[in-house]
Amino acid sequence: MNTVTFIQPSGAPATVSVEPGTSLMRAAVTNGVDGIVGECGGQAMCATCHVYVRPEFAAALPEPSDDEEEMLDCTTAERTELSRLGCQIKACAELDGIVVDVPAEQV
Amino acid sequence: MTTPDTTQSPGCPFSGVPADNGSAEAAFPGAAAGVPGTIPAAGEFREAPVADWVTIPDLYRDPFPIYRRMREEAPVHWVPAVNRYMVTGYAACHTIEQDDATFSADETGSLMKRSMGHSMLRKDDPEHRVERDSYGSTLRPGTIKNHWKALFEANNEKYLRELEAKGSGADFVWDYAAPYAAENLRLVCGFHNATQQDLQRWSQTMIDGTGNYADDADVWEKSARSSAEVDAAIDEMLPYFRKNPDHSLLSGLASMPIPLEAIRANLKMTIGGGLNEPRDVLGTTVWALLENPDQLASLQEDPKLHAAAFEESVRWVAPIGMYPREATRDTVLEGIRLPKGARIGVVIGAANRDPAVFENPETYNIHRPRKPHLGFGGGTHFCAGTWVARTQVAQVAMPALFDRFPRLRLDPSAETVDAGWVFRGMLKMPVRWD
Repeated sequence: MNTVTFIQPSGAPATVSVEPGTSLMRAAVTNGVDGIVGECGGQAMCATCHVYVRPEFAAALPEPSDDEEEMLDCTTAERTELSRLGCQIKACAELDGIVVDVPAEQV
Repeated sequence: MTTPDTTQSPGCPFSGVPADNGSAEAAFPGAAAGVPGTIPAAGEFREAPVADWVTIPDLYRDPFPIYRRMREEAPVHWVPAVNRYMVTGYAACHTIEQDDATFSADETGSLMKRSMGHSMLRKDDPEHRVERDSYGSTLRPGTIKNHWKALFEANNEKYLRELEAKGSGADFVWDYAAPYAAENLRLVCGFHNATQQDLQRWSQTMIDGTGNYADDADVWEKSARSSAEVDAAIDEMLPYFRKNPDHSLLSGLASMPIPLEAIRANLKMTIGGGLNEPRDVLGTTVWALLENPDQLASLQEDPKLHAAAFEESVRWVAPIGMYPREATRDTVLEGIRLPKGARIGVVIGAANRDPAVFENPETYNIHRPRKPHLGFGGGTHFCAGTWVARTQVAQVAMPALFDRFPRLRLDPSAETVDAGWVFRGMLKMPVRWD
């Protein structure tokens, strides 16, 4: 199992444990983490699982695909250099303990 | 005038709902599989309450008081008039959308398959996924921004000018929204050998065929003729696009290993779903704003609110109010038993007004706290045209419309009619300006 920590805009953390290969979006939705919607079920089509990945994990992240790249331009909360779609990042040993900030708005 | 919603008389295109009470069994001899009582109840769940008081004509006129009463009673009902379970609670609809293994899109006895062929909308993953991917980047935000948006703006200019030429008193839907949406769809699909009028005719006749529970020979004939016209148009365009590619759906499909039968069915589904929906959202949004002048005023001061006005409209009156699913196994949904084979209507038009999620849900309010609505569906069948719709309606049409007609208003001397439940939109909307 790998852990993922979601930090709410209020600062409140939620740490969940998931099987390797589980996307951060799915990890949040199945564990009832607020602020991650995942409307399209994980096909990089809705931009409602936007997260800000803490910089210390940046090096271990996969490069965003073209689909993710263009969808990140459609997020409701401001896109920053830390922005990723939770559905495109999978829990794994390299990202074990990853910490992401949940934006104030997804829709 | 064509009617935008065929769900009163011929029945329902995208949902497969029979047109009138009583015809369901005749149309669906094998459809009794999901009728409550055929399997004994047991355990910690209850049978779906039977909503025998619901009628299709009442739903067609105004479904929302009916949905409210149903939601207050239970999230799932068996509705004899519709010959299926209707799911009206937000949580229950959301559960269905996220669980396509239990709730299949591949409905038994679907008339949509007969009318349009077996499109991806009636397939489950992994088959659905292959065809969905075959649409490539055509409908994605990057292509829209870099390519379609400018074409939508040109189309909008053309049809706003035509509306203006018609003169004050023209019909907002039929003299503007319908041809505008049809012309946009024509380009996105790549039907360079057809007109926007062809697209409107194809859409309506095939949708009528999909809802032809009365088995009306004339309806089948018109639907089949349109289907053949679409096939011929596709056959003509595919070789053209192999030599002259552009950004359209057909151009992308021309070089893909997708069976012709699937291309045809998917394009017909896209014609059916890609025309009426943006047209109806545009009509409903503008109607709601004209009925709420204070909200219109705030939008005219802050153009960023166009997006909120659009999303709130899709929540308030989902243009596709219901779509079908079929239970693949015995299951329990929000405490209510659904047997294997149960025919289900996912009533997102009701879920979007669930007071458990939305405060004062019956009210159109562009300033309400933003929460995810289910108007575009969810999960693997999340509307592929979502971003095209947002762009052509909220980014292109609405700002230009209110810019050109700042004193646009409903015609006080004429009737405005909204109707429908599986599809809902404006049937008549005469407008005036100075």
